[in-house]
Amino acid sequence: MAQPPPDPHFVLRGTGAAVHALHFSCGGGEPDIPVLFSGSENGFIHVWNLKTHRVDAALDGHGRKSVCGLKTMDGKERLLSQGRDQRICLWDLAEGRTSVTDSVFTENVGFCRCSLLKVAEGRWLMATAAKALEEVQVLELPSKTSVCTLKPEVGAKLGMPMCLKLWQGSCGSQPSLLAGYEDGSVLLWNLSTGKVLSQLICHQEPVMSLDFDSEKAKGISGSSEKVLSIWSLNEQQNLQVQKTHRLVNAGISDITIRPDKKILATAGWDHRIRIFGWKKLKPLAVLDYHTATVHSVSFSDHKSPSDRLLAAGAKDHRISIWSIYTQT
Amino acid sequence: MDEPQRQRLHALLRVAQLRQLLLQRRLRKGGHGGGPAPRRACSARGRARRGRTDSNPVPQDGRPPSHPATRGQRAASTGRQEGQATQRPPSGAGGRRAAHARPVGEARQDAADARCLFVRGGACAVRATATFLTALSPLISLGLFVAPRTRAVPPSLPAREGLTPGAGRRCPAARPRGRALRLSSEGEPAGPSHPGHPAMAVFDTPQEAFGALRPACVQLTKAQTVENVAQLEARLAAVGAGALQELQEYVLFPLRFALKVPGPRRERVVQRVLQCLSAVLLGTRVRSPRLLRELLSELCSCLPAPHGAPAPAEELQLAAVRALLALMHSAQGDAIVALYQPSCLPLLGFAVSLLLGLAERERAKQIKLAALECLQVLLLQCECQEHRCLREEEAQRCGDLFASFLPGVSIALSRIIAGDVKQGHRTTVSAIRLFYQIVGLVMADEQLARVPKQKEKPSVEQSRIAELIVHRGPEWSRSTSEKLSLLLRKTVELSSVHSHWKVRLELVELVQHLLSNCRLSLVDSFTHLLKALVGLVNDENSEVQSRCNEVLRGIAEQQVIAQSRALADVLSENLHSLATALPRLMNSQDDTGKFSTLSLLLGYLKLLGPKVNVVLNSVSHLHRLSKALMQVLELDVTDVKIVEDRRWGCVGGYDPSGSVQHGVQKGRCQRKYFRFFTEEKIFQLLQQVCRVLGYYGNIYLLVDHFMGLYSESAVYRKQAAMVLNELIAGAAGVGVDVLQEREVSLSMDDLKGSIMSILEEYTDQANWYLVTSIDTEEVSHEQLSVPRSGLAALPGAASSSILPSPEQHITTRTMNSNVWQLCIQLEGVGCFAAVLGREFRLLLLSALYPVLEKAGDKTLLISETAQGTLVDICEACGYDSVQSLINENSDYLVNGISLNLRQLAHQPHAAQVLGTMLRHSDASLLPLVEDVIQDVLSALDQSYNDQASTFLGVLHSLMAALVQWFGLSCSKEHQQRQAAEGQSRTLSHIQQEITSQEVERFFLDYIKQKQIAEGNFSDSGDEEADEVSPLAKPEPSNCDTEGETPLPSHAQLAKDVMERCIHLLSDRNLRVRLKVLDVLELCVTVLHPHGNHLLPMAHRVWPALVTRLISDDPLAVLRAFKVLCTLAQKCGDFLRQRFSKDVLPKLTSSLLSQAAASARAGPVYNHTLAYKLQLAVLQGLGSLCEKLDMGESDLNKVADACLVYLSAKQPMKLQEAAQSVFRHLMRVDPDSTWLFLTEVCCPHPYEPPHASLQPVKLRGMGRQRNEFTDSILLLLEELQQRESAGAQRAPPP
Repeated sequence: MAQPPPDPHFVLRGTGAAVHALHFSCGGGEPDIPVLFSGSENGFIHVWNLKTHRVDAALDGHGRKSVCGLKTMDGKERLLSQGRDQRICLWDLAEGRTSVTDSVFTENVGFCRCSLLKVAEGRWLMATAAKALEEVQVLELPSKTSVCTLKPEVGAKLGMPMCLKLWQGSCGSQPSLLAGYEDGSVLLWNLSTGKVLSQLICHQEPVMSLDFDSEKAKGISGSSEKVLSIWSLNEQQNLQVQKTHRLVNAGISDITIRPDKKILATAGWDHRIRIFGWKKLKPLAVLDYHTATVHSVSFSDHKSPSDRLLAAGAKDHRISIWSIYTQT
Repeated sequence: MDEPQRQRLHALLRVAQLRQLLLQRRLRKGGHGGGPAPRRACSARGRARRGRTDSNPVPQDGRPPSHPATRGQRAASTGRQEGQATQRPPSGAGGRRAAHARPVGEARQDAADARCLFVRGGACAVRATATFLTALSPLISLGLFVAPRTRAVPPSLPAREGLTPGAGRRCPAARPRGRALRLSSEGEPAGPSHPGHPAMAVFDTPQEAFGALRPACVQLTKAQTVENVAQLEARLAAVGAGALQELQEYVLFPLRFALKVPGPRRERVVQRVLQCLSAVLLGTRVRSPRLLRELLSELCSCLPAPHGAPAPAEELQLAAVRALLALMHSAQGDAIVALYQPSCLPLLGFAVSLLLGLAERERAKQIKLAALECLQVLLLQCECQEHRCLREEEAQRCGDLFASFLPGVSIALSRIIAGDVKQGHRTTVSAIRLFYQIVGLVMADEQLARVPKQKEKPSVEQSRIAELIVHRGPEWSRSTSEKLSLLLRKTVELSSVHSHWKVRLELVELVQHLLSNCRLSLVDSFTHLLKALVGLVNDENSEVQSRCNEVLRGIAEQQVIAQSRALADVLSENLHSLATALPRLMNSQDDTGKFSTLSLLLGYLKLLGPKVNVVLNSVSHLHRLSKALMQVLELDVTDVKIVEDRRWGCVGGYDPSGSVQHGVQKGRCQRKYFRFFTEEKIFQLLQQVCRVLGYYGNIYLLVDHFMGLYSESAVYRKQAAMVLNELIAGAAGVGVDVLQEREVSLSMDDLKGSIMSILEEYTDQANWYLVTSIDTEEVSHEQLSVPRSGLAALPGAASSSILPSPEQHITTRTMNSNVWQLCIQLEGVGCFAAVLGREFRLLLLSALYPVLEKAGDKTLLISETAQGTLVDICEACGYDSVQSLINENSDYLVNGISLNLRQLAHQPHAAQVLGTMLRHSDASLLPLVEDVIQDVLSALDQSYNDQASTFLGVLHSLMAALVQWFGLSCSKEHQQRQAAEGQSRTLSHIQQEITSQEVERFFLDYIKQKQIAEGNFSDSGDEEADEVSPLAKPEPSNCDTEGETPLPSHAQLAKDVMERCIHLLSDRNLRVRLKVLDVLELCVTVLHPHGNHLLPMAHRVWPALVTRLISDDPLAVLRAFKVLCTLAQKCGDFLRQRFSKDVLPKLTSSLLSQAAASARAGPVYNHTLAYKLQLAVLQGLGSLCEKLDMGESDLNKVADACLVYLSAKQPMKLQEAAQSVFRHLMRVDPDSTWLFLTEVCCPHPYEPPHASLQPVKLRGMGRQRNEFTDSILLLLEELQQRESAGAQRAPPP
């Protein structure tokens, strides 16, 4: 008999607005307090202490414009936040400081979350949608020098980039970028040449979110329609659809593969979080708690697997924390 | 006196002695004058002493006032005054005894003298004296006698000291005083002569002294009479100490001679002699071993032999003992060393046995005491400073010597200790002291350790003596320790319950002494010794207590137990056996016995201190101990009241005194009733036991063990929880009283870890959701939850599986037990909070929710305890009040509520928590819980048929809270409005009173109205339409417009709740309907200021409410009518039309139909529902009419319906209620009411003021007096008064 879906482990309230971005930083040792960053529609970034389940700090750096993306660079002290005020801010949070040390003005008005990839110690690549409609810009951090600007061919009519994923194959190969576009296609870009390696039209609607497993060379994307699409990258650097999964309700706003590549979670417009096995996309659970669209799902990076958590932020101002590692 | 002279003097003395001996042999027989009875002298002395003390309280010679005299001087002065002293019996039992014994003593004299062992002399002979004198004469002629410098004798003597029996313990002080005197007499010049006394000479040089003493000595040697002795004493008093030391042997000679005089003794003389001897000895020191030996044996000869012949007079015995004492005190250095040689063993043994015999058999307290004291000195255990500490080898030798006495001494002493209480506590005390001193010396570990394995071969000449000496080898020490163990046990048992505290105090000393000296040799006895010591910790006497504590602390501090394995073993053995016996003892003993048993347990634990850990590591110990605790702590759960006490506040409505935190005091721990004891102090002891365990023990081990017991059986669960709570408190060092610090104090993290695991267990579903009542409602919930939550993964499943199904019989006992269980667990939570302090804040995440859950429990005891816990948590975590605790942690609570609401089985609990939060907090909470209230509402929407009543409870408390928080504003507005209404009404009154013009206008209006009414106006139909339309129109438009103005959140909530109520009003469960009606009423109150929203809601509620009003259970009707009244108050004329159309006909008809029944009914009717309904309707109808501003025809209907209730046949209450309706009607329309009433009955004829007017004819005029008359007359009169009062109030136009 199937187990009933579990309840949230805890629910964080008090963001005061819809939650759009979540990011865990729990990798530290014992004295380090695990934290969860959440970015909400009112422009605040909340730092949640996962021991007390309370807000340790609320960062206001995006002029009350929605925060749509959060990343950390090496631990919880350096936070990268992307807001709808067209800025990407780098925060210094060490020793209780809450100051913006650097910021990038992207001039992009879309919803596209930036993607960050650590290529070497102290060197990051960041892909973000650029000012021009279809362009994607790749910057090197922390120097902020532009690595390349990825422009689709003229007349490709891809629309805006909707989601980006920088990735790097094993053994120091070149970093690549996967980008989902408004017309439902996913493009694989070669960063060094600035050329499209492969294009796959896997959705009829804009690609809302994608995630890629570089080990298995397999990715998944979700759009505003009822389909999840799994595609793979073959040796010839070609993307091809491997499988599609039909959902009951339309709309996926976020997809995250768990770091251990065993399961993935989707954030649905139908207020539900769905858990799938990554191997065969076997539906494992439907987590039903939120009362509005779920905007973001994120897996924690706790050292000990039993501590690991899943967080989902939704339009109902709540962040639900789930402990599903042991149960799946 | 120079050296040759002294030698000569000595030689002479020796010669004299020899001659005397010869003489004695020759003159075997010789008489002696039997002076006055010794007793008389004694009493006289007592008197004299008293007199002196009284007359000369302050010394006047410039010496410090406390400066004492030597005993010799004292004795001398006593003797001096003897003659003038009058007879007066001395006080005290000893004196009385002496008085009785006097003739016997005299009779005994001869025999006593005859059997004297060591007497070699007989009576004094003249010739001998003469010889002696001739021998001395050359010295005298040498002119040694020098006129003495005069100086005063210190006049004030603390006479009771020294010679009184009480001086026994203080005698050590006598020596230093004596020495002080010597010092002063040597160093100081002569003081001024004392006016009150004849100037007394002090002879500081031996020559002078000799001169002064010689005549007396000679005299005494010549004739042994009391007077001569007294004379010598008097002289002695004047001799300086230094000089006396020189002349010691010379002075002693006549005295010793007097003792040895052959023939029957004259007791009085002997006594005097002994006294004098003591005086001399006290003033001097005995340096020669020979002299010491001789004196010892001579003095011993004065003591009665242990068996046989009758003893001499008590005074004599006393004097002898004292002399012995003085001798031993004066013995010095070499003399002492020489005495304690094996060769002197027989002599010592003899003295000891004599003294023991005296102490044991003699009945006079003084003698007993003196003998014991003397023994003490003899056995070198005197506490005086003079006796320097024995060197190691000396002590060793003494130990060897005394070992031979040990059996006799210890047995005799233990007999004395066991003796009759009448012997006085001092005897017992000294016996105990001597006992432990001798045992402590002989059995001292360090001595025994040095004893060689094999006995040394004695040299031949010493062989006989050496045989007497005991070899203290291991064999001997073992057997002795066995025997001593018996004695000690007896001693301890007797004296630990001795009625005098000093004896118990001495017992403590005994234990202390032996424990510090004989830790190894007497290990067998420590069971008893420690038991006694530990038992005395709780002695009733505070001094004993404190000393005992001190000793225990000392033991602990020296780590006696920790270092000695044997002792620890003894203790743990004791502990084990006590733990084994504890349940039995608890069953059989009374409370005092239990108390002492438990103090013992506690004492063992405290003594073990850090060793507790070792003991607990033994499974058997831990097992025994825990089982014993489990049994002892068993609660009495038969009290039915616990289950019956319900907290109705929650069920019935919002508790207005909701701020519970004020009512709850700290430390209001609910008193528990135990099966095995009733006294609170026993429980406190047990608490201490647990705390000490927690303090020293390994907390992980203990917690683990007791958690095991906790989950092992429901029988142990409560006790185990109690123990766990105390363990944690102890581990944190809270309220624990220990003897020594533990080695490592527990780290906060460890403590927190333990607490977290306990908390987890406590709040586990199986232990937290226990059946505490058989509320039909609740059970039905649980029942419902069972099939749904049968899924193993649901957390609710666990709880439902342990919840017995309703069919299963739940006894009150089980429920009581469960109630207590929860209370203890709640107390535990409070205790943990106190222990962790602010650290507990981190645990609030998991702990606060369950506690609040219980604070909302319906069982009074649980909710009170939980509230206490909340207060504890507040204090520990530093919150100002429960309210701020809840507010600041509302996120945790809200989280818990919202998660629990998702599960059917836990919905009631979640609802309880929310209810509690609301009850304890204020309006500031609202924004924090709004979120979750929406959850509640949506949960209600999803399961309204199952859980409706639970949620209605929450909604009720929510609305009640809202009324409380925001009601003030509502009521203010309401008051204002009422005030305005009142004003306008009075205004209208005023206007009514005005002049004939007004009357005229009124009349014209009336005619016009009448014409309209009669249809004289063509457009009458339009008018009617107009009248209807303003009422009908606003309704739909209202609904549209209201949404625009934003509502404050509380009103919005009220609106949301009200919406749910609409659906639930037609629930099939009556209780639910009733609850809904209650909630509805509150909703209306909250929404009242927001008419725009209230009216459409009222509109929507109306149909359902009407159904309740006209076709439901009377109870519901009653409630619904109340709602209607409230609604009318708020909505006013909005309801008029509907009311008159939908409800009023039904009401009036039911009133009318019921009237017949109530008129007929007897007094029992008052208890029926029908009656209550009638009453409620009648009570409410009046104000309803007023509020709704009803039309005339409706008013008439009401009046008609109520008229029947004015009848005197109706029950009184109904009559009054009906009258109240008419009063309201009077307010609305006084005229028509007047008319209506007068139609029925009119008391006054109304004469027209002018003949042109038609006479007024009212139907009620001239009627017979009937059932209505009384009421109506009353009402009319009131009306009259109102009118006239209104007229008066009205200002003249």
